[in-house]
Amino acid sequence: MKHQLREDGATLVVTLEGDVDLDSSPEAREVLLKAVGRGRDVLVDMARITYIDSSGIASLVEALQAARLRGRRLALAAVSPAAMRVLSLARLDKVFAIHASVAEALASGG
Amino acid sequence: MSASNRAASAHSAAAEEVFECLHLLADLIHDFARTLDVEATLRRGLKRIADQVSAEASSLFLLDEDGTAVVCRACFGPVDITGLRLPADGGIVGRSIRELETQMVRDVSKDPQFGKAVDKLTGFTTRSILCAPLGHGDLCLGAIELINKRGGGLFDERDRHLVQALASAAALAVMNAQMSAELVEQQRMRRELELAAEIQRNLLPAPRPVPFPVCGANQPARCVSGDFYDFFPLADGSVCFALGDVSGKGMNAALLMAKTASVFRCLGKEVHDPGRLIARVNAEICETVTRGMFVTMVCGVLDPSRRRVRLANAGHEPPLFRARGGRFTALPASVPPLGIAANLIPETGPPVSELELGGGTLYVFSDGVTEAWLPGGGRLGAEGLTAMIAELAGRFTSPELLRIVVDRLCPAGGEIHDDLTLVAVDGA
Repeated sequence: MKHQLREDGATLVVTLEGDVDLDSSPEAREVLLKAVGRGRDVLVDMARITYIDSSGIASLVEALQAARLRGRRLALAAVSPAAMRVLSLARLDKVFAIHASVAEALASGG
Repeated sequence: MSASNRAASAHSAAAEEVFECLHLLADLIHDFARTLDVEATLRRGLKRIADQVSAEASSLFLLDEDGTAVVCRACFGPVDITGLRLPADGGIVGRSIRELETQMVRDVSKDPQFGKAVDKLTGFTTRSILCAPLGHGDLCLGAIELINKRGGGLFDERDRHLVQALASAAALAVMNAQMSAELVEQQRMRRELELAAEIQRNLLPAPRPVPFPVCGANQPARCVSGDFYDFFPLADGSVCFALGDVSGKGMNAALLMAKTASVFRCLGKEVHDPGRLIARVNAEICETVTRGMFVTMVCGVLDPSRRRVRLANAGHEPPLFRARGGRFTALPASVPPLGIAANLIPETGPPVSELELGGGTLYVFSDGVTEAWLPGGGRLGAEGLTAMIAELAGRFTSPELLRIVVDRLCPAGGEIHDDLTLVAVDGA
């Protein structure tokens, strides 16, 4: 898994790329929690996620819970079909705000 | 004594000294190799080394775990400094470790790196130091330090060579001891894991004598499992069943699995509506869950007399219902998994599916099954599982069918990446 972090206005955009599985989810968790820890809204660009398992989803859930505790938002954008399948099967589309693209998410204010 | 006699005598004394050194070296290596109590052996060794090079005191320092300090683990001499901790980046010991070189300091007062703190603490006066690193390849474990030649003399090159050789032997002894300690610790962890796995297996229900309408199978990917299934009859003759899958794997998933399974069994005996039951389990899990962990779960109640199942699905892979005629229907989740937030599932529970089983069978399974890798490459998928069930149903009983599916996905001696868990509910 690879990751990138960039700022876009008030929002931090975290890009996760590749397989987010048992081996790489600790890294995803650290990156996401660090981003949330900066006290800003976080947008996770999931366009290039090729595979995500439940440990990867748990990293997203933990980051979402941490963001809410700080009164911040964490949203997902451009979710790849592989990741979307997992999110919709588990009805996690009811838990996360999901945007069609990063641009659309940023335009709508995260 | 003639000159030639004097030379012969000196030669013989030198030969005897070399022999003594070799003897000491062989003795210590032998001691180090077979010891179980490495610190006692090191203490004995330090005394013998000090005697051999006529040093007033000797000590052995080992680097601590993060390498920022050295700790005296054994010593010989007029003051006991065992347990003394010094910064690893200073002093003669630190320099010897850093440079992986033996340090011979004949007058410490002229060495700016000599730390006076220990002398102040002990009242001992250090004049000279011979310090050899305990190195093995590029790895340095610590150092052996000899202090003050007895009688006010100076350490010499022979002392340096001897101490270097002995330090190498001691390094091997320390490494052996550390590896044995790690091995013992690993064996202890292994035994605890096996015990945990045994306790976990006992959380799963024992197979009921046929004909019982619900059966299950579980194959953990590791020693312990993050999946569980359960079923038990209720007083009115119906059967409560569930299959749960905790996010992640390993001990943390296994512990949450144990909690969820216990909460389910306890509440399932009181709350007979699968929707309300799943809501109650969610509320309980949400009180203590950490690290974003969650549990996907299907739970249902089978009324065998009417061959009807009421089913609730929280974030779990859609169970498959195979009707008697062979037609498959998937039953997707209506709410997210348990443990994410109490308010995601209302107290009245998620919508409950009502299923007339007729002569068909309901299959509930974890994503370890659909995401299992096939021997020829690619994952099984829901389609692959459907095809496998279609091929086997009717030819085998449900317990047999589940076992065949597990065996195909986890051939003997083969490795699986996720726990495989299946439950079958028969309407026949």
